[in-house]
Amino acid sequence: MPPFKDEHILIIAPGSQVTLAQLGLPESFTPARFRFPTRMFPAEKKGEYEPYRIRERRQELKPANGHNAPKDVEMKGAEPTAQEGTGNSDVVKTEGSEEQKAEKTDNVAEGEPQEGAENGQTVEEIFYEEDVASDEGAIFPMENGRIMDWSCFFALLTHIHNTLSPPFHTPIMLIAEPVWSLRDREAITQFVFEKFKTPAFCLMDSALAVCYGYGTATATVVDVGKDKVDVTAVTDFVVNEHGRGIALEGCGGDYMTDRLVELLRSKGFSREMCEQLKQSNITELLPQGTPLPGTAATAQQDINHTSGSADAREGSDEGALKSQNGSAENEEDEGVLDVAAIVSGDASASDYIAKREQEKSVLKKSADQNAKALRLPNSKKEKATFQYQQFVRLEPDKDAPTGPGRFIRQTRDIEVGIERFLAATPKQKIEDRLSSGILEDIATQIHHTILAVPDATKRSDLWDSLIVVGNGSKIKGFTQALLGTINQKFVLSPSGTIFTSEIPSNFSTPIPTGGTNTPAPQGLSGPMHHPGGPGVNPLLVAATHSNNPAASNMPPGTPQMDPLSHHRSTGHSQTPTSVRTVKPPEYFAEWKEQSAPNAAQNASGPPGPGGPASGGGNRGMEEAVFLGAQVASKVIFVLDQGLSKGFMSRVEYNENGPSAIHEYFM
Amino acid sequence: MNPSVPPSAAEYGGDEVSAIVLDPGFSTTRAGFAGEDTPKSLIPSYYGKYSFEGQEKLIFGDDVFVTPRPGLSIHNPIGRDGIVEDWDMAEKVWEHSFTSRLTGAKPGNPLQNGLNDVADGEFPTEMEGVEAEEKPLADSPLLMSESSWNPTKAREKTIEIAMEKWGTPAFYLARNGVLAAFAAGKASALVVDIGASNISVTPVHDGMILKRGVQHSPLGGDYISSQIRALFKSNAPQPITIIPHYLISSKAAVEAGQPPQAKYKTFPPDRAPDSSYRSLLEERTLSEFKECVVQVWPGPTKLSATGPNGVVNEDMARSSPGRPFEFPDGYNQVFGVDRYRVVESLFDAKAAVPDPDSLFPAPTQAQTVPELIKAALGGVDVDIRPHLLANVVVTGASSLLHGFTDRLNQELMQSYPGPRVRISAPGHISERKFSSWIGGSILASLGTFHQMWISKKEFDEHGPNIVEKRCK
Repeated sequence: MPPFKDEHILIIAPGSQVTLAQLGLPESFTPARFRFPTRMFPAEKKGEYEPYRIRERRQELKPANGHNAPKDVEMKGAEPTAQEGTGNSDVVKTEGSEEQKAEKTDNVAEGEPQEGAENGQTVEEIFYEEDVASDEGAIFPMENGRIMDWSCFFALLTHIHNTLSPPFHTPIMLIAEPVWSLRDREAITQFVFEKFKTPAFCLMDSALAVCYGYGTATATVVDVGKDKVDVTAVTDFVVNEHGRGIALEGCGGDYMTDRLVELLRSKGFSREMCEQLKQSNITELLPQGTPLPGTAATAQQDINHTSGSADAREGSDEGALKSQNGSAENEEDEGVLDVAAIVSGDASASDYIAKREQEKSVLKKSADQNAKALRLPNSKKEKATFQYQQFVRLEPDKDAPTGPGRFIRQTRDIEVGIERFLAATPKQKIEDRLSSGILEDIATQIHHTILAVPDATKRSDLWDSLIVVGNGSKIKGFTQALLGTINQKFVLSPSGTIFTSEIPSNFSTPIPTGGTNTPAPQGLSGPMHHPGGPGVNPLLVAATHSNNPAASNMPPGTPQMDPLSHHRSTGHSQTPTSVRTVKPPEYFAEWKEQSAPNAAQNASGPPGPGGPASGGGNRGMEEAVFLGAQVASKVIFVLDQGLSKGFMSRVEYNENGPSAIHEYFM
Repeated sequence: MNPSVPPSAAEYGGDEVSAIVLDPGFSTTRAGFAGEDTPKSLIPSYYGKYSFEGQEKLIFGDDVFVTPRPGLSIHNPIGRDGIVEDWDMAEKVWEHSFTSRLTGAKPGNPLQNGLNDVADGEFPTEMEGVEAEEKPLADSPLLMSESSWNPTKAREKTIEIAMEKWGTPAFYLARNGVLAAFAAGKASALVVDIGASNISVTPVHDGMILKRGVQHSPLGGDYISSQIRALFKSNAPQPITIIPHYLISSKAAVEAGQPPQAKYKTFPPDRAPDSSYRSLLEERTLSEFKECVVQVWPGPTKLSATGPNGVVNEDMARSSPGRPFEFPDGYNQVFGVDRYRVVESLFDAKAAVPDPDSLFPAPTQAQTVPELIKAALGGVDVDIRPHLLANVVVTGASSLLHGFTDRLNQELMQSYPGPRVRISAPGHISERKFSSWIGGSILASLGTFHQMWISKKEFDEHGPNIVEKRCK
């Protein structure tokens, strides 16, 4: 098999909201070039799907020539049934379900007589248009990472594959959600080999991909998604399946939106507003014990606060919702985002550009205003404003009812009080769980996951290499707040224990028995290293490993303790003695820039405007999984070329079938 | 189908369908595909039950440990002796073990999973009904393990569930002692299994258990936990109560032996989890304690006896530095000789830490590991005893207690000075924990095993009693 080329590798990383995809590895790895919303729309034919919502509009026309009329049908979607003409019974069926029922005239059902009729009788023509901004009727094939609708999921993969149209010699790297069962993986493997005819396929666990992205072999990966969290312990590039926190529900970004809704609903905030508030740069999770601005110094943000006192604070803050740019409402020239209109020439391009200019100047103005207020850091300000953008569909113009849907973007500044710091506090609503808040749930899961790692010697390393990814964790201060919670609940106090402990027992007699493995001095990484096991003086082990790279991971400040504390990390001691995060790699320029604090422009459009948005835009290391996928593709497909069974080849598939993916699954 | 597409069902051979191996235990249930080296799915056999908004809800899997629920109570479908008590729930727990990670909740209709091109209008209408009763194991043979003392009724019930509820096409029930021997690469062995609720000694000869020699007693991991609890009660300077993490909102560092300074959480009584939930989570802390602190006195003599050099063993143990442990509420202490005491009664019944409130009655000498081995060997033919002693396989997660195999070796050498005693204990933790599953994985992937399966047809013909005839 000829070696694979960088530019041929196809990477797909499906998520419940957005699926990242890219063809080819760039010189320096970039954020995903394509972002597909993970949704499809049912097509007219059962079991088929369209990437965009297809609207259908009718117009009465006087045909110049009755027989040609149907051929003029404007076809934007690849509608197979539409091509068959208006006489198709399928079309009629869907018509019935559409709102335009009223328009339906009796003679539509019988296309033949209608077409046959001449003498300038009015004929109804059906236009199909893609409504790129609509989510209406969409099917989201994945829910909390689980694939709920297989045919829709496969249709999405096909759509992505078609859009990127890779050449034949394209290996495919697909990032697997942890929650996928082995059978799910088999089904995907089968689909990929049989539909895309790929020569090589790699299905990589998302947690492992993150490790590749961060360039670390051992890490605890916390992936905060929309409504779920995955916590995975990876040791030596192997995912620990046992005790793994898989799709922990109700712990994702939606929790924080829900909480904000709960806090702000009384002030007239809609869910959409809260979502944008959460994404804006004024929402923060403050470190525990930080006094909230504007409140008495004694009132501290406390994760474990009972909701009652949160209520009290809410009450003290009034009239937070203020529309500052009152004039913005329904002002048409504020900014018309109408891609379809530009394309179809409804609005001239220059017109459009002028509008954009105008919009920009408005933004600049408000930015200037903000700059004045920005003297104080956000966390010290009692109130702050964010820009709320809304897309409103305009009523179709009277004069051009045929034009595609037009949207108007309304922008206004909304002021919010200290609620913006309380996104991770416990919800008021009685739920069927007793934990206090998202951070505590995640911290408990991390503790459980690390404790379940069978190799006790690795646990300390796992605590010291925490990686928090996923767009749910984008909110400012999330990682720090999580570390704070772990410190508060789980990190062991150093008191007393460190000096009295771990002086090796000097009387355990070595007994050569059958299978009991005498730990080799290099047993550090060996899983059979039985700590302090028969015969080997752990001090000796520690001493011989004092120049081991692992030793450099030890907490600074106790250099004289090195051999002992090093032994602690290898011995069966309790963990964690410390907890910290892994630094993201610094040599990927594109990723580094984006991990800078997100600018005010964060809310970039309505949720999921149709079509694969190109370009990364504000994507930081939250999507490290995609960086890792690129690194791993390079390693697996290009450098290794299958020597270490990194991917499954087509030959292998033909011989062993889809279940062979179990051996290749990474 | 496009004729140019090379792979079709015929090309990748039907016999590649891998069997599922299910190894249910008292504490955890292991499941995975045959031929793999570890079970991909490991869930607690415990399940949680609570009611929310008038509906009764069940939680399976690790989620039980992570999120407390209002009024949550914990149950186990398996009794302390390793025999299933609640069949309905056992079925659900086991089903969860393979549907969660292996087979998926419900297999999609093959006509709609996008893998098959079906021309429009060719949807066979009768498929609708078939899909509704799709069974979770319709296309995987199932190998299950059982304890050596599983009664006939329970075995029949097991095959009924597998065949009728899960729809497996082929089934086999194997003794976990035999499987553990296979995992160690032996057809004949004396398997010493230190589990959570039981310890058992099973003589296996040529792949068959020798029923008369099978011994078991309740001195397993849970018994050790009860000993640790007894120790905590009588602890100096103050008795220790374990407060699990879910009841603590934050802790502060305190000096060793000082009372904890933690902020606790309280739940309203109508929402507080049941005491069974608390004891399950206490068990988590205890197992951490067992991993970090507890040690088996290495021998050669009992902890209470005098060592070979004339020093009393206890004094010797006392002189060794202790091991520290911090509890979830921040209380921490160094444990000295006590860390040996809590497991000593596995070898010496008299050394048990007394606790009148314990669930476990004080052990008798006959229940200790050396005595069980003696009794097991007493129950088998004299001729094969030396062979068994040369192939002692130690397995079960509680055998991972620090120093356990050394002590067992000492005890056996003293009891049987003549014959060669050889203990084989896998060094790899997962091999020790999952040895009966691994044995099942090996067995089910053997080509020669194919004739052993009980097929659905045979089950239909002969009824559930076929399991007694085929799986001996």
